[in-house]
Amino acid sequence: MKSPSFIAATVAGLLLAASASAQSEADLRADQSTPGDVLVYGMGYDQTRHSALDQINTANVGDLSPVWTYSLSDGRGQESFPIIHDGRMYLTTHNSTIALDAATGRQIWKTMLDYPAETPRVACCGIVNRGVAILDGTLFRTTLDAHVIAIDAATGEEKWRTNSIDFKSGYSMTVTPLVADGVLIVGISGGEYGIRGYIEGYDPATGERLWRTYTVPAPGEPGSETWPEGDAWERGGGPAWLTGTYDPELNTVYWGTGNAASWNAGLRPGDNLYTNTILALDPKTGGIKWHYQTSPNDPFDYDATNELVLTEIDGRKVLMQANRNGFFYVIDRTDGKLIAANPFVDRVEWASSIDLETGRPNHTDIYTKAVAGEQVTYWPSAFGGKNWAPISYDSASQTAFINTFRIGMNYKAVEPQYRPGVFYFGAEFSWDWPEGHRGELRAIDPMTGAVKWSQPSDIPRNAGILSTAGGIVFTGAQTGEFEVFDADTGEKLWEYFAGTGTVGQPVTWEHDGTQYITMLAGGGAVYSLFSGDERLAAVPTGGSVWTFAVK
Amino acid sequence: MRKMKKLIPVLAMGLAIFGSPALSDGKTADEILAFGATTYKQFCSHCHGLNMVNPGTSSYDLRRWPRDNREGFESAVLNGKGDMPAWGDILLPEEVEALWHYVATRAGKEPLPEDSAAMEGAKDAPLPQPELIRDGTLHACLARNGGVMSAKRSRGGIGIDHDIAEALAAGMGLDFVPVWFESEQEEETTPVKDTVALLSHDLCDIAPGFALYQPALSQTPGDRAPLPRWEDRPEHMDQRYQVDLRPIAVSDPYARMEIGLVYRDGVEIGPIETVADLEGLKLGLEQGTLPGVITIRQGTDRMVRDADTRNPGPQFLWEMEEGVFDAALVTVGAYDFHRRQNLVSVLKLHDYRHPLGFNLGVAMLGGKPGLLAHVDAGIAALAASDALAPMAARAGAHYAAPRPPAVQPRLSLRDIIALR
Repeated sequence: MKSPSFIAATVAGLLLAASASAQSEADLRADQSTPGDVLVYGMGYDQTRHSALDQINTANVGDLSPVWTYSLSDGRGQESFPIIHDGRMYLTTHNSTIALDAATGRQIWKTMLDYPAETPRVACCGIVNRGVAILDGTLFRTTLDAHVIAIDAATGEEKWRTNSIDFKSGYSMTVTPLVADGVLIVGISGGEYGIRGYIEGYDPATGERLWRTYTVPAPGEPGSETWPEGDAWERGGGPAWLTGTYDPELNTVYWGTGNAASWNAGLRPGDNLYTNTILALDPKTGGIKWHYQTSPNDPFDYDATNELVLTEIDGRKVLMQANRNGFFYVIDRTDGKLIAANPFVDRVEWASSIDLETGRPNHTDIYTKAVAGEQVTYWPSAFGGKNWAPISYDSASQTAFINTFRIGMNYKAVEPQYRPGVFYFGAEFSWDWPEGHRGELRAIDPMTGAVKWSQPSDIPRNAGILSTAGGIVFTGAQTGEFEVFDADTGEKLWEYFAGTGTVGQPVTWEHDGTQYITMLAGGGAVYSLFSGDERLAAVPTGGSVWTFAVK
Repeated sequence: MRKMKKLIPVLAMGLAIFGSPALSDGKTADEILAFGATTYKQFCSHCHGLNMVNPGTSSYDLRRWPRDNREGFESAVLNGKGDMPAWGDILLPEEVEALWHYVATRAGKEPLPEDSAAMEGAKDAPLPQPELIRDGTLHACLARNGGVMSAKRSRGGIGIDHDIAEALAAGMGLDFVPVWFESEQEEETTPVKDTVALLSHDLCDIAPGFALYQPALSQTPGDRAPLPRWEDRPEHMDQRYQVDLRPIAVSDPYARMEIGLVYRDGVEIGPIETVADLEGLKLGLEQGTLPGVITIRQGTDRMVRDADTRNPGPQFLWEMEEGVFDAALVTVGAYDFHRRQNLVSVLKLHDYRHPLGFNLGVAMLGGKPGLLAHVDAGIAALAASDALAPMAARAGAHYAAPRPPAVQPRLSLRDIIALR
């Protein structure tokens, strides 16, 4: 009979063997604590985008300088999250996948993607891609025409390609895939096109689809009682266009879903599950463990797709989200129970509060009138209190850093007209611009929403945020500046003009004893396209990659 | 969902059975502009900005588009330009026109420029040459078993679809060549698919009797389809032979297919405002057809419970003839055809018409502006000289003029329930 210690030693040996292979799942789990690489979207499975590196800090950040820059030869908005492994950096644009030497910026390979010329018709808010996932020497990405692709990280050659769905009726993909428990997980885009949303799991080795979980149930399925009788569910929306978060400890994937379609909520009485919902999924099966809906029967395009950040507060395992609807949610991630929900922007007018017992919003008459088809002005707008750009979270100071929007919307629900592959709004709308600035970078307490500091900008920032143990907050402006702020005071410590707008996602990493920060520049995407803000006319497009260090 | 899935083929089938007329040329400039604004929002705003305001960096600022370059604008919209995708297979001609009005007037802030005004007034100018598969002839695809709409005769043909094609050819100074095909209700195909396949194979220049239903126009019904049987079809082109489907264009409408109430002579019919008013009659229900769906969705529970559900087809009206039931909603064309085949009949057509109907136009391949212009002009001339109703009458059919909207938007079950 073998002794327990022998078994333990064997198990440990197996684990070591596993972690020796390239970017195993053990590596992905350890991403947060291995500053030499960046392996998971959001800089670790918790998506905090907070790094323990402190070589670049408040004292020396004034000396931050470009080390190299690389042209992406592309005029679309650049939102790709850089993955860094073994001295290489992996990036995407809407039509290419790229490997660079991380230290020099020299190109190792670049593989072009082709998609049908009609595809951009079904991209509501910018022709973008948000990056690759990596596992065992293979990169995974999605394409605008709704394919999932595996690419050999060494050569750039395609290993497999699976079509998720025909893009022509409004389906597209911009999402970075997520590797969780051996399954490659993606979500579909197209909430403005009358799609039926879903999240899917694929076999990373073969590209075989393992499961698809629809975010809008068919009649008779659980949740279908929250939809009216008839065919509304077939075009019910519920896209899942941003990457979810994996919790290895609970073996659960959290994934947010977007608006119900059309926006005209009066035509679909009921809560409309699982639109505008945070889903907890079993990564192996896609089965729903629990759900929490942030905006039931939503008329306002308040997607719950924004990044779900995992942390512990007061000993409780929580997930956090700065939702488009203007509330910052803190939820017990073991069971989906709401812990706190406070506004993180000044004007949240569709609901007065969130009931902590029921988890449901206490609606104001703006909501009631909007659903009834009356003309209303609501805040925040469909851009959200925050748009897609991810927050960062520093658990040491219990502070979330958020690029917020300060814009409202004039709105009236109308009869929608469905045509495959064409906008399916069911609403007339225009922006309600405020006096003065339209955005603020904010530091808030996630439990109370209390604002520690705020940095306004005339044009809202719509780039991701990185915070570090060096006490700095790194982000970018649509007017072209990379920016660093003091995490404690909000004081601006540094800026560098990139020559084009920035809407990318900063990451930091270490190589040969030097800390680097990398972010893409390249203006475009939703605000630039949809706002009509003519002040951006003087900020040209043109994608590039920038890497900075203190020399 | 089961219901919805069924409804689509039902609509397509229902459409095949009838036919009727004309487009809304009488739109005011304001109406065209308003239509342009709606179309712009649905198709263009996500790249070119709400209300056509954008910084012009990520995508073109349309306020800079030269107002004298309508042709270039239409080409860019239909065929794409640079990063802009092509929309030619999805936008309807009247939508492209309305978009030009919207863009050229800078979203209605400026008058329509001289040049586009001149183009509007250029109606008297000679039309461009029609694009034909063979010079000097107009080939028209016609169903030889098309009921009262088209039927082959030992010499020539009959029915409004046949007659209008012949008259269009005459008006264009072309020889008329009918291409008779067999309209079959195969599992795998629909009348729309058949028509698009015939046109895509360049068997004919035009195909009359095309129901103007938006989902059938906004995209091709699949990538490939088999061809229906036509006279002179080569042996090898059976159901296994598939053609690539190409985008089509349609003319202004020339007639309208309507749904009416047929009843046995002597049955008392009270005043009818909605389908529910048919309660109390011994109703027949033609399964799987649009009138059947309307009976189910708009009838009272009792009515539907008591109705006699029957298989679709020509024998349906025969069963009423024999007294199985007393009344039913059917297409006017189906009734007309039954009457033509059965000179002695106890069936009558009531004056009631259901509000749902489909205008009929002439289909052709897209990208033939000359042919389209000639066909539209021909239809307008025939309508102006009241020549259309006699064509229908010659085949024993009632004629109904088209009604706006020219193209019926997509119908959902909800729409059908709501229509009264």
